Amino acid sequence: MLMAEGGLMALCLVPAWHFADGTLGPIAVSAGFTLAVGCLMWYRHQHDTVIEDRRMSYLLVVLLWVLLSLFATLPFMTTGATTNFTNAWFESMSGVTSTGATIFPAVSSLPSSVLLWRSMTQWFGGFGIVLLVLALSPQLGINKYSLYTAEASGADNTGKTAVRTVVTVRRTLAVYLALTLAFIIALWLSGMQMWDAVNLTFTNISSGGFSVNSDSIASITPLQQYILAGAMLLSGVNFTLLYLLFTMRWKQIGHKFDQLRFYLVLCLLAVVFVVCTLHWHSGYGWNDAVRLGTVQTVSALTTTGSVVADCTQWWTPTMFLILMLSVCGGMAGSTSGGLKVMRVLILLRNARCIMRNRLHPRVVNPVRLNGQPVSGHITNNVMVIFMVYGFTLMVGVMVLMLCGVNATESIGAAVGCLTGYGPGLGASGGFGCYAGFTVAAKWFCSLLMLLGRLECMTVIVLFLPRFWRR
Amino acid sequence: MLMLVMALALVGPLLVSLHYGDGAQYGLLMAGVVLVAIGLFLRNMVGRNATYELRAKESFWITSVAWLVVPLAGALPYLFTGVLDSFTDAAFESVSGFTTTGSSVVIRPEDMPVGMLLWRSVTQWIGGLGLILFIVAMLRRLNHGSLQLYAAEFSGTQQRKLHPHIAKSVSRMWQIYTLITLILTVLLVLADNGWLESVCLALSTVSTGGFMPAQFGLVGYNDLTISILTVFMFLSGVNVALLYNLFTLRWRQLRVNHELMIYVGIYLFASVSCAVAFVAVGNPMVPSLRYSLFHVASTISTCGFYTEAPLVWPFWASAVTFLLILCGASAGSTGGGIKLRRLMTLALYLRNYLTRMVHPNVVFTVKIDHKVVPGEYVNKIFGFVFLYICFIIGGAFVLTFSGCGIADAFCMAAANISNLGPSPLINSLGASLDYALLSPLAKWTLAVLMLAGRLEIFALLAIVSPSYWKRR
Repeated sequence: MLMAEGGLMALCLVPAWHFADGTLGPIAVSAGFTLAVGCLMWYRHQHDTVIEDRRMSYLLVVLLWVLLSLFATLPFMTTGATTNFTNAWFESMSGVTSTGATIFPAVSSLPSSVLLWRSMTQWFGGFGIVLLVLALSPQLGINKYSLYTAEASGADNTGKTAVRTVVTVRRTLAVYLALTLAFIIALWLSGMQMWDAVNLTFTNISSGGFSVNSDSIASITPLQQYILAGAMLLSGVNFTLLYLLFTMRWKQIGHKFDQLRFYLVLCLLAVVFVVCTLHWHSGYGWNDAVRLGTVQTVSALTTTGSVVADCTQWWTPTMFLILMLSVCGGMAGSTSGGLKVMRVLILLRNARCIMRNRLHPRVVNPVRLNGQPVSGHITNNVMVIFMVYGFTLMVGVMVLMLCGVNATESIGAAVGCLTGYGPGLGASGGFGCYAGFTVAAKWFCSLLMLLGRLECMTVIVLFLPRFWRR
Repeated sequence: MLMLVMALALVGPLLVSLHYGDGAQYGLLMAGVVLVAIGLFLRNMVGRNATYELRAKESFWITSVAWLVVPLAGALPYLFTGVLDSFTDAAFESVSGFTTTGSSVVIRPEDMPVGMLLWRSVTQWIGGLGLILFIVAMLRRLNHGSLQLYAAEFSGTQQRKLHPHIAKSVSRMWQIYTLITLILTVLLVLADNGWLESVCLALSTVSTGGFMPAQFGLVGYNDLTISILTVFMFLSGVNVALLYNLFTLRWRQLRVNHELMIYVGIYLFASVSCAVAFVAVGNPMVPSLRYSLFHVASTISTCGFYTEAPLVWPFWASAVTFLLILCGASAGSTGGGIKLRRLMTLALYLRNYLTRMVHPNVVFTVKIDHKVVPGEYVNKIFGFVFLYICFIIGGAFVLTFSGCGIADAFCMAAANISNLGPSPLINSLGASLDYALLSPLAKWTLAVLMLAGRLEIFALLAIVSPSYWKRR
């Protein structure tokens, strides 16, 4: 029931936004169609009971994203922004997974309604994932085994802002809306057009990364870039934490301190490194280096993918670090993708514990997070996700190479798509786009996006023969 | 003690040099004298009263220090004979030798003095089964602590001992090791190769080292030689304990060993699929098959020999190579990599995990060879693989500083941490096979990676971690 409701809210909100913008006939048609299907589904399923079968819930989560993406292709197709279904699918998948990898070489020449729609899918997709993690998956019982293991199973009790799902949904929505509004106003005050401000806020607060300009966010003023960096930084923070922050419950924030601290320290170190390399190696002045370095690093760590300069020209180690940051990703329970800071933290601490244990075999030292021991099977689950993530990445690179992309570019594209960062290396990096990829590569990239957004396991379990057996 | 052993090992090349009169004898002699001097000195200083019991801490210390000191000392002959003139190069070559990696900075090995050629291979051979095992075999008096050393060397793979008495089982391993080397040498000689080449190749093969006596790899050897090498590379990727069973005709032990089955399975699958890929892009049939058998054996055992590749290189071969580099040989063999046994454990755990996602209340255990692997072991293996990947990423990161592309950097880091060394994979991606062209920073990085791979990371990390030095 809840699942269906979530899906429906998704589908019904879509057209609402359409109509606000629906000056164009085709969009109205696609909106109407989406609405109709949505209503039909809601009508059919409104009397369903709570889903108890866990298999069903995995299937639904995956189907939800696929359906969202499918319906999101409609505006692209009907307005003639692209006549190719592969392209439309790639773009809409990139939208709803808030990846930000684009297929259009010249974004600014698209009709404005399509532009708004692109931003909208990201804003929506970003909200969807937070909702899924914080509100829906505890209900579905997914939490315990796959998605936010550490968050849910006792390691972190503040994960539940409220016991009741509806309350959680409302609070998350409130935080999200408040943030969006705040940044739109901030950008507008800094002298940006309302149109740009809305679009850019939508894509950056959701750690998406689409833009209305072909050069992403390179041509806006430095102040605006810093504001957007702020938006991105917040988009990588856990929403429960944001809620606590807004309601000034400082004491409870302390419980999440480990994760937040790691996130900020990592961000700071990376920024320092990138700024230094930009200054000393790539020859930028200090002002530019600080601006470009900060914005781009934050954009990578939160897997937003807004591009502030032509990164393809940057030094290889800089780009390497940026890619690795996007693999690391933001905090669990935020809109950002990647492996999530919390997992990395657990992985590192676990490695340290193992080493200590080898030196002093009789000492008992569990992995601790926020001062509380994390149980063994949680660490193992995190490890499993890490392995699968790494393996997916490796296979992704290889398949892309099989599709005829060269080695460096496939690494970039695989990382970009799987983590939800967006831009890769070479042709798909910087201000570039994925238009040059073959059809197979495009489809595979969109699969990677889906895998990355739903954190691999949920999708992979569907391919298990045992999954379909009674 | 170690130094004395090394000096002893130098005698062989020295004699060869004297025989051929290639001008390296003075350098070798000098290096030998220096090593003997250091060795005697150390023994008089510390060795006399070394009868204390080893704890985990000390054994880590000994392992790591041995692996740091010995390769550095092993660099002396290169410097004294003037084969390599910079200390970085010499150290790189020597580390690469002792860790059985086989990455070489010598551009034209055929121009080296013959004695040095032999010395290179000898370092690999010594490195092969682990220097520590060497000491253990020598120093019976450390009996109690030697189990710790043994564990430090082969971390996390639950070794089965051949004999309840550790020193005995170690010496049995050495017997097998020597025996195989001898057989291989004889076979190679019979296959029409020169004595010296045969010995060099045999030493490098059995230890899965991979130093080759010529610039372009094993080009120009006859098919028989290549086939013999293929078989022995394959064998050297098998657990030495199993080989012992093989030689003593205990077949039943072999049959129940799942790792061996998987090893054989992966080998066959990889070679056949590579062969198909080679044929599919238009290479002739028989050479393709022969080449892929050779290449896959060389990669999976992390030996790192290469020979003349077929003209067209399909992408599939690169992909297989890369995966094989990561997975590596069986646990307890001389090869490197993550080791199949660990991967098997992980794969089983993953399967259980996926099943549990669907049926949350099912209780599973990971079983290998019909024995349950305890949970903390799984955790350790996970930790190991995590660190392994971290090292690859970190290594690749540093490599990009010296101008490598990202893809090349990854391949090079992976090839060196798994002690493979040179590989056609790196070549097909456009990087230079000549490690000689890298910057000193990159060379040192690679050397650290090799050591990390050989010591299976924990031993290396342990002694640099602050908690190691803290008093408890």
